[in-house]
Amino acid sequence: MIKALGYFLEIIKGGLITVRHFVTNMWFHTLKVLGLKAKRRGAVTIQYPEEKKELAARHRSLHRLLRREDGKPRCVSCLLCVTVCPSECISVEAAEDPDSEIQKVPAKFIIDLSRCCFCGFCVEACPEDAIRMDTGKIEVAEYRRADLIYDLDKLLK
Amino acid sequence: MPKIFIDDRAVEVAEGLTLLQAAESVGIPIPHFCYHPAFPPEGSCRMCLVEIEGLPKLELACSTVVKEGLRVRTMSPKVVEARKSVLEFLLAEHPLDCPICDKAGECKLQDYFEEYGLFKSQFKEAKEKREKKFKLGRNLILDRERCILCTRCVRFLNEITKTEDAGILNRGIHSEVGIFESEFIDNNYSGNLAQICPVGAITDTDFRFKTRVWFLESRESICPLCSRGCNIIMDSHAGYPRTLPTRRVYRVRARQNLDVNFHWICDYGRYGYAYLDEGREDRLVWKKGDRETRLSWDKAAQILSEKIRSLVHLRKNSRIGIVLHTNLTNEELFLADRVFRKGLGVEKLFLADPPPGKGDEFLLTADRTANRRGLQEVGLPVQAPDLKALSGLDLLLIFGHYLAAGTSPSDLKNALEKVETKALFASHKSGLDGLVDFVIPVPVIAEKNGSLTNIDGRVQPFVAGLSFAGDGIAEWRALLDLARELKVEHKYFSRLASPEAIYRALRKEIPFFK
Ligand code: SF4
Ligand code: SF4
Ligand code: SF4
Ligand code: SF4
Ligand code: FES
Repeated sequence: MIKALGYFLEIIKGGLITVRHFVTNMWFHTLKVLGLKAKRRGAVTIQYPEEKKELAARHRSLHRLLRREDGKPRCVSCLLCVTVCPSECISVEAAEDPDSEIQKVPAKFIIDLSRCCFCGFCVEACPEDAIRMDTGKIEVAEYRRADLIYDLDKLLK
Repeated sequence: MPKIFIDDRAVEVAEGLTLLQAAESVGIPIPHFCYHPAFPPEGSCRMCLVEIEGLPKLELACSTVVKEGLRVRTMSPKVVEARKSVLEFLLAEHPLDCPICDKAGECKLQDYFEEYGLFKSQFKEAKEKREKKFKLGRNLILDRERCILCTRCVRFLNEITKTEDAGILNRGIHSEVGIFESEFIDNNYSGNLAQICPVGAITDTDFRFKTRVWFLESRESICPLCSRGCNIIMDSHAGYPRTLPTRRVYRVRARQNLDVNFHWICDYGRYGYAYLDEGREDRLVWKKGDRETRLSWDKAAQILSEKIRSLVHLRKNSRIGIVLHTNLTNEELFLADRVFRKGLGVEKLFLADPPPGKGDEFLLTADRTANRRGLQEVGLPVQAPDLKALSGLDLLLIFGHYLAAGTSPSDLKNALEKVETKALFASHKSGLDGLVDFVIPVPVIAEKNGSLTNIDGRVQPFVAGLSFAGDGIAEWRALLDLARELKVEHKYFSRLASPEAIYRALRKEIPFFK
């Protein structure tokens, strides 16, 4: 008997906690909607996609290839990103650059994003700072798999 | 035999060896750049310094000859310090090119830096700029910034090809590898230069930028492009990463064999590997009129042996012909002899080979097939494929696609049209494909096991370095299957289930192969 009463007590306590959170959050949410006290966070669902969360500075998003000052890709086709990529999703084909200081340029550079696990190893491995994952694009979804295969032009954009 | 002490280990080594060779012979590697077993010591790189008890200074292991009682230290602190300094001096003028250098991954400078390096650069001056793309040879590019002036390339041209095209020009900081009179190095052995350059100074345009060496898997094989049978390494793509282009072999390198090709191979063999992937036969088909049916080898073997059996039954053995070639292994030629000539009493054995080329005085021979000597030693009586003799047959088994090369297409067509059944066992597509009833793809030498006899009578076994995909069958297997279907000497052939077993029989029966 005493034991059963104990259970009820806990249920009521739990209910009160829920009510307390609801009221507090509702209160701050209302204040926020009215433009008051915007700083104080209530546990509010972000209304994605209308509303977007700010990405952390080190967030890894869609890749991009960087360019040199004269507009040529920085990449020298060293294939180190290809070597390190655990998903085997990068493929690079090298070509000869007329400038003998540069020597190697990518003729093809393909990342198959349908395999990429966004580990960022390629960025770490690159000796030329030629590839970064700082575009802030996280909505990389397509209707067709083929559209997830990014080539040199798409990556240099 | 002098007894010396290397790192406190007492070893007995042959008279006349250098310390470096002596140490290597007992498994103690001494780092070096300029020493190469093919040449006398040069002593220019200073990487091989070792400490010898009783001598005040460090000595060069590559050019000090062993003497009774020498006590050598190869890893003492003094030695390590000296090697570090040597490396530091080399790197002072060396570009930071590893990411774009083809040698990276198999470069001695890189390896030794890994071992001894991590010193802080004390070099404050700017590095000297030099030419990075000098056309050194027909297919060689020299990067003068990367060159460490070991002179291996110069010595190769002086001592092996004896063309003496290059030398070290100028002095001091201006020293560089240069060419004397010719425009660039152009000989049939120039590809070896890229292989012996210990750093990435000489790169090979055939391999340049195609891939990185750590993606490659090295497999041993034998060059089948002439009768010398040079020992080679095929560097092929191992399947990782998945996304690389689907080329199988990226380069062919020489494998040391002092009895055959020393440390070298010719350019014809080095760059002639395209045949591995180009123009290959890939479908086993049976052609009836215009219709092509794909079938399995087992089925084809049944049909063929049915034809052979009925001809043999009617005592028409003389109307069966076999065309062979000398890119078949010893085992296959032996089986062809035992199955067809001894087993079935077929007398009409022909030989159709690719035409000979021009040999040189060094390795390349005029004979452009791998196993003519093997054919001689197995003792197969073969005749030239005379079209008249061919046209009088009922069944023709053609091994190799070389028959099409020597004759005019229309004559060949006329001759083969008269033959009732023709089966072609070929690795490559050719004009014969349209003239036969069965096309059966077969592996090339790099894709099967067996042995070859080179021009000097040296029997060299080899194993498959590449896999054979597609619906074909290796010739030795095909011959055994035919023997089984035809029930020729079942007891004899059933024991020969692998090239090794066939070779054992070969050794027992033919004294040459002992
Ligand atoms: S993020 Fe990781 S998985 Fe994606 S391409 Fe780079 S290395 Fe490969
Ligand atoms: S690691 Fe950098 S420079 Fe090398 S291939 Fe990849 S993107 Fe290009
Ligand atoms: S090019 Fe290579 S082999 Fe020739 S001297 Fe320079 S480092 Fe040595
Ligand atoms: S000499 Fe003959 S066997 Fe040797 S690499 Fe050249 S073609 Fe091949
Ligand atoms: S290997 Fe001895 S000096 Fe170069």
